[in-house]
Amino acid sequence: MIDLVLVVAGLVLISIGVFYDFVGAIGLLRLPNFYTRLHAATAGAIGGAVVPMIGTALVALGADYLGPPRFFLAGAAFASSILLMVLAQAGSHAIARAAYISGEAPREPILHDALKDRGGE
Amino acid sequence: MVIEALVTSVLTVLIPIYVVSFLLYVVRVVKGPTIPDRVLAIDSLGYDLAAFMVVLSILLKSPLMVVSGLALALWVYAFDIYIAKYLEAKEMGE
Repeated sequence: MIDLVLVVAGLVLISIGVFYDFVGAIGLLRLPNFYTRLHAATAGAIGGAVVPMIGTALVALGADYLGPPRFFLAGAAFASSILLMVLAQAGSHAIARAAYISGEAPREPILHDALKDRGGE
Repeated sequence: MVIEALVTSVLTVLIPIYVVSFLLYVVRVVKGPTIPDRVLAIDSLGYDLAAFMVVLSILLKSPLMVVSGLALALWVYAFDIYIAKYLEAKEMGE
């Protein structure tokens, strides 16, 4: 019984992750400039990568037909999901800061640039 | 036996949607007007490819691809940091 619960929960998480991944991809295409695309990319990276990995770990724990190596899969999936949760944000922040400071990305559709008043280069 | 049929049927439905979103990311990589746009698209493409490897390793019943998924996630993070460092200070930290 518990296996079925684990597998169903994992599959729900994986389908949520696929939905986030798809929405992030569409968002990355349709949003006007780099700074708005950051939102789509990070949503696609976290919802589309971390959540399915946790879901896969649950499915791996619940699916007995995979045999004993499924515990390596579950452990590695949990570890990489936690690692990804930290890394995806740090990488996106670093690239956003670099794009702002170097002025590489245009800031056209913008209402208010808070960094400019605070002396941002 | 029920669980195996459930898992394989659901995953065979989800995998094509993953592949479609990868193609959309590749469109942004090709179309991206500026360098940070391309980096952002490669960034989320790499992370979702790592997640795709992990999800696929259930369908293939072997935990080998999870390690490469983790390595890909680390590489994409390093890629971000290198390009951010280059854009900001024009040096790669040698």
